[in-house]
Amino acid sequence: MTIGLSTYLIYLAISIALTIWVARTLHKNGRVFLVDVFHGNEALADSVNHLLVVGFYLINFGYVSLALKLGYTIETAEQSVEALSVKIGLVLLVLGAMHFFNLFIFSRMRRRTNARHQPPIGPDAFTPVQPAAPQEA
Amino acid sequence: MSSLTVLYDPECGLCRRAHEWLAEQSKLVELNFVPCASDEARQRYPQLNHELTKQDLTVITDDGWVYFGPKAWLMVLWALARYRDWSYRLAAPELLPTTKRVVSVISQNRYQISRAAGLSR
Repeated sequence: MTIGLSTYLIYLAISIALTIWVARTLHKNGRVFLVDVFHGNEALADSVNHLLVVGFYLINFGYVSLALKLGYTIETAEQSVEALSVKIGLVLLVLGAMHFFNLFIFSRMRRRTNARHQPPIGPDAFTPVQPAAPQEA
Repeated sequence: MSSLTVLYDPECGLCRRAHEWLAEQSKLVELNFVPCASDEARQRYPQLNHELTKQDLTVITDDGWVYFGPKAWLMVLWALARYRDWSYRLAAPELLPTTKRVVSVISQNRYQISRAAGLSR
């Protein structure tokens, strides 16, 4: 196995492992958020959570595979480490951006549903409410 | 809040028609209709100015917040599943003055409108 091929394989292994780890973290910790957004409707929250994670995998694996090609030949182990650090650094940045984008979507969904629970306008006055009279003779 | 009490004018045909329409709508918040200045209204809200509630629609939340006139109409819209978004639009600062003017004109002329539309008893 040439040093170039092993660089590619190491790159793939590390990138795929990182993507899976971030996706699992999102899946596990995003659920609480989504259950809150959907007012305790856990089935819907799980479904949306799953769909979000699928999109996350698609975008990240897409990027990892597009960014695979180095464009030059590697001859020494040092070059291999340098190439790996650049490639994996980029994958990490993309994962980070995706992660914050996900958080942004979660918090916006949450804010929107909470805002809709507020009345559109403030009240004019306050009056004490008498509970319904007990039916006694 | 889980319910709104609507104090409406039972003398006005338009209000009765509105009441029927509201009864058919699907709601996000329950609406209880009580005729304004009735014994039931006086018993439930002993400190409320009941003469004022005869003049315009009044909505009271279950924790005692009072919305009067155009604000009451906005609260009723807010309670309806199909019109909640509209309640926010109509209550936005740009539209609120117009909303208030239109609702006030309709409210103050409700007997004439009811007569013209053939809704009075």
